[in-house]
Amino acid sequence: MLQPLREIEGGIKLSLNVAGRLGQLRKPPIMESFLRQVYFTGVTAATGVVLRASGLGALIIAVTLDVLDADIDLAVKILLWVVFREIGPLAAAVVVILRTGTAISAEMAMMRVSGQTRALRYLAINLYDYLVVPRVAAVMLATMALTFYIQALAVLGALVLSPFIIDASFMELASRFFELFAPVDLYYSTIKSLLFGFAIAACCCWHGLNPPELSQNAVPKVITRAVTQSAMLVLTINAVFAYIVFGILFFGLVTAKV
Amino acid sequence: MVLTVPRGGVTHVHLPNGQAKAHLVTAVLKARAAAGEELELFGTATAELNAKGRERLRRRVGAVSPVVGLINNLNAWENISLPAAYHGSPPLERVAEIAQEVLQRFGAEPQAFLARLPDDLDRLERKIAAFVRLLVAAPELAVFDALDEGLSRQESAGLSRFETEYRSRQPAGTLLYVDTKET
Repeated sequence: MLQPLREIEGGIKLSLNVAGRLGQLRKPPIMESFLRQVYFTGVTAATGVVLRASGLGALIIAVTLDVLDADIDLAVKILLWVVFREIGPLAAAVVVILRTGTAISAEMAMMRVSGQTRALRYLAINLYDYLVVPRVAAVMLATMALTFYIQALAVLGALVLSPFIIDASFMELASRFFELFAPVDLYYSTIKSLLFGFAIAACCCWHGLNPPELSQNAVPKVITRAVTQSAMLVLTINAVFAYIVFGILFFGLVTAKV
Repeated sequence: MVLTVPRGGVTHVHLPNGQAKAHLVTAVLKARAAAGEELELFGTATAELNAKGRERLRRRVGAVSPVVGLINNLNAWENISLPAAYHGSPPLERVAEIAQEVLQRFGAEPQAFLARLPDDLDRLERKIAAFVRLLVAAPELAVFDALDEGLSRQESAGLSRFETEYRSRQPAGTLLYVDTKET
C-alpha cells in the first residue's frame, strides 16, 4: 500500500531535483553523458522509425478515404489531428520507452547493485548530477526530435504515397494540409513530447536507482516496473492533454455530442 | 578495538574478515563511524561534523579498494579523469601527464591502456587504473585495501611500486594498508 506512495514521492523529489540542477550540464563529464544519451536515444533510434512513420501516414489517409469513404478534407484533418497531434508523440514515446527506458533502468540498476553508485559518492560526485540530469535532459530533447521525425515523415509519406492508393493528387492533399495546419499543432505536440520524455526518463532513473533488493535478480524487476509505469505515465499525460485541448478549449467542460 | 594511524606514516592493519575490512574502509571513506563507534580523521572527530565538514574531510581521503571500484561503462581514461573533470581540478592536461607517467612506470602502453573498458582490464590493471585515479586526487590519506587480493605472486611483487609512487608525489601523505588475516 505504501509502495505506490513512496514511488510517487520519490518521483516528485527526483523531478524537482533534476529541474533545479539543470545548470550542472555545463560540467564536461555531464555534458558528455548528455550528448551520448542524445545520440543513443535520438540518432540511433531514428533509422528504424523512418520507414514505419512514412508508411503509417499513408496507411491512415488511405484507410480514411477508402474504407470510411471520406473526402480529402476529412482525410487531411485526420492526418493532422490524429497523426500529427496524437500518434506522432505517442509513437516516439513508445520507441523511447522500449529502447531507452529499458536501457537506462537496467544500466542504473546494475550500477546500484554492483556498488558503482557508491563509488561515485565516495568520489564526491553527485548521483543526480552525473546520472540523472544528463539522461532526463537528453531523453526530453531526443523524444522531441523523434516526434518531429515521425510527424514529418508520416505527413510526407501520406502526401507522397496516397496518390498511388486513392484518387487525390499530392498538390491537393498538401495544399489542404497547409491550410489546416496551425502553429498550435506544433506547440501542442512539442510540449507533450517534452513531457513524455521527462516522465519516461525520470521514472526509469528512479526505478534504476531504487531496486527492490541489491542483487542481480532485481534488475529484470526494475526494468519491468520502469517500463510499465513509464507507459502508464505517458498515457495519463496524453489523456490530460487531450482533455485540456479537445475537452475544454473546443467543447467546454461538457462532453461532445455525437 | 582502537586504531591510531600516525600522520605521514605507513600503517598495516589486519582485520579478522572481509566484513570488518569493508566496515573500516567504508567508515574512513564516508568520514562517518557507525553507532557506538568513534572516528577521528586528521584530528577532527567526525561525529561533530556537518555535511559540508564531512565532505571536506572526504576530499582528503582516497582508496584503492573494491569499495571504490571503476565505473563499468567508462573507459580507463574516463574513469581516471572523471573526478577531476567533475570537480574542475586538477586540469585534464595534468591528469593526462600523471596517467602517462605512472602507466609507463608500470610497463603499460598509456594510449592502449586508457582506451580500454574495465571489463577488458585484468585485476592488476584495474588496480593500477584505480591507483592512478587516487594519485590524481592527491589525498593526504591513502587507503590500500587488500591490494594483493586475487593477484598472482608475480603480479603482487610489483605492488610495492604503489607506495613508492604515492610517496614520491605525496611525501607527507599517510598510507593505510588494510587486509584480512586470511589473505
